[in-house]
Amino acid sequence: MAVSKCTRLNGPLIKQMLDSVDSVLFDCDGVIWRGDQAIPGAPDVINLLKKNGKNVFFVTNNSTKTRKMYADKLALMGFNATEDEVFGTAYCSAMYLKNVSRLQGKVYLIGSNAMRQELEKVGIQQTGVGPDPISGVQIDWANVPLDPEVKAVVVGFDEHFSYMKLNRALQYLNNPDCLLVGTNTDTRLPLEGGKAVPGTGCILKAVETAAQRQAQTVGKPNHFMYDCVASQFSLDRTRCLMVGDRLDTDILLGSNCGLKTLLTLTGVSTVADAEAHQESGCPKRLGMVPDYYVESIAELLPALQG
Amino acid sequence: MAGARAFGFKGCRKIGGSQIRNLLNAKDFFLFDCDGVIWHGEKAIIGAPKVVSSLIKHGKNVFFVTNNCTRPRENYVNKFYRLGFTDVMQEQIFSSSYCSALYLRDVAKVQGKVYVIGGEGVRNELLQAGIPFVGDEDAPDGTIFNCALASDVKAVLVGHDDKFTFLKLAKASCYLRDPDCLFLATDVDPWHPLQDGRILPGSGCLTSALEVATGRKAMVIGKPSPFMFECISSQFRVDPAQCLMVGDRLETDMLFGANCGLDTMLTLTGISQMKTAQEYRDSDHSANQSFVPDYVVDTIADFLPAFED
Repeated sequence: MAVSKCTRLNGPLIKQMLDSVDSVLFDCDGVIWRGDQAIPGAPDVINLLKKNGKNVFFVTNNSTKTRKMYADKLALMGFNATEDEVFGTAYCSAMYLKNVSRLQGKVYLIGSNAMRQELEKVGIQQTGVGPDPISGVQIDWANVPLDPEVKAVVVGFDEHFSYMKLNRALQYLNNPDCLLVGTNTDTRLPLEGGKAVPGTGCILKAVETAAQRQAQTVGKPNHFMYDCVASQFSLDRTRCLMVGDRLDTDILLGSNCGLKTLLTLTGVSTVADAEAHQESGCPKRLGMVPDYYVESIAELLPALQG
Repeated sequence: MAGARAFGFKGCRKIGGSQIRNLLNAKDFFLFDCDGVIWHGEKAIIGAPKVVSSLIKHGKNVFFVTNNCTRPRENYVNKFYRLGFTDVMQEQIFSSSYCSALYLRDVAKVQGKVYVIGGEGVRNELLQAGIPFVGDEDAPDGTIFNCALASDVKAVLVGHDDKFTFLKLAKASCYLRDPDCLFLATDVDPWHPLQDGRILPGSGCLTSALEVATGRKAMVIGKPSPFMFECISSQFRVDPAQCLMVGDRLETDMLFGANCGLDTMLTLTGISQMKTAQEYRDSDHSANQSFVPDYVVDTIADFLPAFED
């Protein structure tokens, strides 16, 4: 097993590395696009990788789009990609509930319409999506009617998150048999146009605090996202590369699953961050040190074109 | 048990009769939590009004120290009166909302506005302290994609807010990008019980969401932070050795007492149970000793026999 070395990838090393992998998993935000702007050169990288016979997958913690919505966005930006190559947490959470939790019942959902759609696609009904304004007094809130078929509270990004939703989640979670599942713990969500807002991690933390328990999270760095890809395509993890911009989600996922890891500097994490983890000597942090790094994935182009 | 106390081991002893009488004689200052100690919702705990008035009649100093930030103090006085605590004056009431205003005005001496996530209790106290604030219900056309920010916001204060929205979370985290903008929380209680035993989410949930969004830790005004005791001390001459803190929640009231160097008493009419107190006492982690009360009573009404003489 390669020791994470945080090596600058350039020159002949690029081709060497690419020849050693058959599949490349890309994070999206900060790696292939920023908001609705493709990272310059990114579409060519993806398209050339495929032309060179590599499998390409997109693995994102963002729960606000269905696979179809992502496929449409990818196509619009010039990436040759199909729906089944995209793994977002809306889709993966539905898969998790269906195949791992084997949920029999409904979900109380704090999340987006995309999450609702992905749940319905696997036959799971939800209640709660959309605005939920507060009315009445305290005693009413504590006694909100609960759907007896709800067996899990699922939390993803929700711009309609409110005290009332937090309250409903708490009332369901008073039952210790009710599951608590979160899409991811990212603290910020990048928006179109380059802005960012508080991420799902904030909403999930509020619910965990109220219920005094930890959620099961589906997204990176949890290995489930990789398992999801691997269960549908035959992957040799020793010949897989994970490309991401966040050390604590993308790179850690790669390390957890025994994949090669490449950090790109067009997003959140820096080389200094990586080196700090490396120098810490702390076993927990070593998983966040990438094998390689590049300034941008566009640096892979010469090796792909040649 | 002086020897054991010196090593930080708390008694966690249930006391009655003459032990209570001795304790009442030894202490001059009695600090009471409210919810679960002197009342449950709109019902006074049986005997509690008589305990409070007897203490006052016997020349004891009585204060009420509560994390509940949903009412201004003048409103609390009305509640005390309504429930039969007719001797209680506004000056004796220390709520986390009142103390947050004191902190902003007298300690931080904030120059500028405060962005408030909270209700009438908090806003009213800020108004009374002369502290300008923003946070009235959001402009109807504001969205997370383009929310207008007020200028001159120098502090963010988070309290209990049943009108909490994601937009407020987004705005607050924008303000807190400025490291010079203060980050205050009235309290960090994760949930509160209602009269019938059901629970509701507390300020702690909203505060933790904002801490995750900003990567910053809030300065906590309420218990178990010792600040509310500092407020009391700044207004009255108080000797910690003469104090008894009476509460029902180990992780707030007992820890508060320990943090301020006060003797503590757990009453079993509220949230925490004797079993939990004993588990903390018997645990290997020395930090857990701070949750352990010195004394335990089933109800503060157990004080009443001590006044008969």
